[in-house]
Amino acid sequence: MTDACKILVVDDDPEDQLILLEYFRDAGTDHLVRFLDNGQKAIDYLHDSNVNISLPKLIVLDLNMPVLNGTQTLLQIRRDVRFKYVPIIVYSTSDNETEKKKCISFGAVDYVVKPSTYEEGQKVVAKFLRFLD
Amino acid sequence: MKEIVCVKLENDMDLILAHKRAMKLCELNGFSLVIQTSVATAVSEIARCAIEFGDDAELVLGVDEAGRKKHLTAIVKDSTDFSLRCKEAVQYAKKLVDNVDIVRVAQQIQIVLKHELNFSHTLTQAKLDSFVDYFKREPPLSAYDEMRRKNLLLQELAEKVQKSELDFRVLTDSLPVMMFSANNRSVIKYANKWMQDFLGKVPKELSIISWTTFIHPEDFTRFSKEFSAALSKQIPLKSEYRFKEKLTNNFLWHLMSLIPLRDATDTLSQWTGCIVDINAQKQIEQTLKDNQVLREAQYRLIERQHELQRTVIELNRTNYELEQFAHLASHDLQEPLRKISFYSDVLKKKYATALDGAGVNTLNNMEKAAARMKELINDLLSYSELQKQNLDLEDVNLKTLINEVVKDLDVSVKEKKASIVIGDLPYVQGNPLKLRQLFINLLSNALKYSKTDIRPIIEIGGSINGNSVSITVKDNGIGFEERYKEKIFGLFERLHTKEQFPGTGIGLSICRRIVELHRGAISAFSVPGEYSVFQVSLPVKQELDFRTR
Repeated sequence: MTDACKILVVDDDPEDQLILLEYFRDAGTDHLVRFLDNGQKAIDYLHDSNVNISLPKLIVLDLNMPVLNGTQTLLQIRRDVRFKYVPIIVYSTSDNETEKKKCISFGAVDYVVKPSTYEEGQKVVAKFLRFLD
Repeated sequence: MKEIVCVKLENDMDLILAHKRAMKLCELNGFSLVIQTSVATAVSEIARCAIEFGDDAELVLGVDEAGRKKHLTAIVKDSTDFSLRCKEAVQYAKKLVDNVDIVRVAQQIQIVLKHELNFSHTLTQAKLDSFVDYFKREPPLSAYDEMRRKNLLLQELAEKVQKSELDFRVLTDSLPVMMFSANNRSVIKYANKWMQDFLGKVPKELSIISWTTFIHPEDFTRFSKEFSAALSKQIPLKSEYRFKEKLTNNFLWHLMSLIPLRDATDTLSQWTGCIVDINAQKQIEQTLKDNQVLREAQYRLIERQHELQRTVIELNRTNYELEQFAHLASHDLQEPLRKISFYSDVLKKKYATALDGAGVNTLNNMEKAAARMKELINDLLSYSELQKQNLDLEDVNLKTLINEVVKDLDVSVKEKKASIVIGDLPYVQGNPLKLRQLFINLLSNALKYSKTDIRPIIEIGGSINGNSVSITVKDNGIGFEERYKEKIFGLFERLHTKEQFPGTGIGLSICRRIVELHRGAISAFSVPGEYSVFQVSLPVKQELDFRTR
């Protein structure tokens, strides 16, 4: 875990990880992405990283996860002044309006529903990649 | 004067009796035989005249006390003055006894004969009393005397009976109890004053009494059964009935007892009855009974409440499980489904060149299946979410709501070239989102089950009846058979194959659930091949406890 990443994807679903990885690979950006499978690991990663130099430019956060779920992780990251400015996009299967509003109020910059078509997937990844600019 | 014995003077037999009694009293007083005879003769002389000329003569024999002297005294009394016609007898008597006086007392004439007693100090009060006793116990001097005595006795008894009867009447009349007696043919012979007053009848009327007029109609059948049983079996009757009080026209509870009286030969001679007011007692009894009933009702109510509480707990548990299911459906089922859709899309888009026509077809079919499953999951989710019973209510303008629904369905309305006729629709209290879902389902169904050969016409109308609003959605579609009118609202019920009409079979279940949550009712009727009508009735105002359900 020493290499710094630009996009941190926190999702326990290996298939979803693979789907995203495929898109990043197609875009030639797969080396900038790190995948972790729960919120606690994400927080540990942020603590281990060299503050200000190697912080990711975007955190993509799934909601339904073991150990520490998405909203808890979101709140913990937002409370820590060191990671205050790292943008977080919530990435979930559910398109529940209440859930969306809650995540935005907790400090997420966006709420993205996981794609169910190839084109949707392309759009989603394009949105993520814009944070690298 | 101390009266010792008296003799009625009516005929010659009485004269003999008078003579004998006078003789005896003289003897008892210790006179010599000569004086006995003298006095008795004098008394007889006067008595004879009295019998002959008097009207209702009577002889009283006794002892008179004047100062220190005592006299044997005989008084012959009559209401008619016969003294003028017995002057001779009086003269004669004066020679035989010490003193003869003619006295007028009120309407009576009395001839008083006196003869002084010797050794009068020995004649004590007790001794005089013993003389009275002697004459009472004296054996009859003759058959006549015996008859005479018995007559006297009878007269005395008759007087006593009369007095006792009078006493009885006074007593029974002053009691606040109805008393009566009836002969063995149950004809009333006597009724006390209380009974006459209570029933408002004079004794004559009571003899032909008709019990129907006095006894409460509800008690009468029982009375008549018990009464005739008592009469025919000659057994006592004791039972409670309501009797009508003439004065107030109120029926009051009474205890009636009827007792058969038998004579010495054990045959029924008469009945005596009494009817006692027990209304107050009855009222207390009733109050106590009511209290008991109340307590029992209260107990049952508490039981019911407990039962309800248990049901509520059970329902809440079921609801919780359903919500858990909804959660499961929304996340865990949707997740793999989304991926199936996604992968098939990726295959089609990214690997299109690697697939032939049949492969693309297979993928399309897979996508359709996935889409159907998604629809099913979404419908189930909607249905499960309706188990959460707390609805936020507001006043909803149904006209606006249905116009919006029609706009939402614009695509299929245009596709089917349907015409939608919206009539007058009122405001109701309800949850706008749920009501919208209700009418989307009803209108989609109307569009879906239309006939292919004619233009669909869908009419929506409403009317208010009291506190209830009735909304009808009528189409000119394929309809359904009468026997399915309940079944169509069941979960997963479908009348057609998926090929004919795709769907999950949940839509109308959702409709029914939404209407029930609004405390309304939904029903459907149809003429197959002609039309279907769905009728929703909703309360205009929801009750206050609605939110706490």
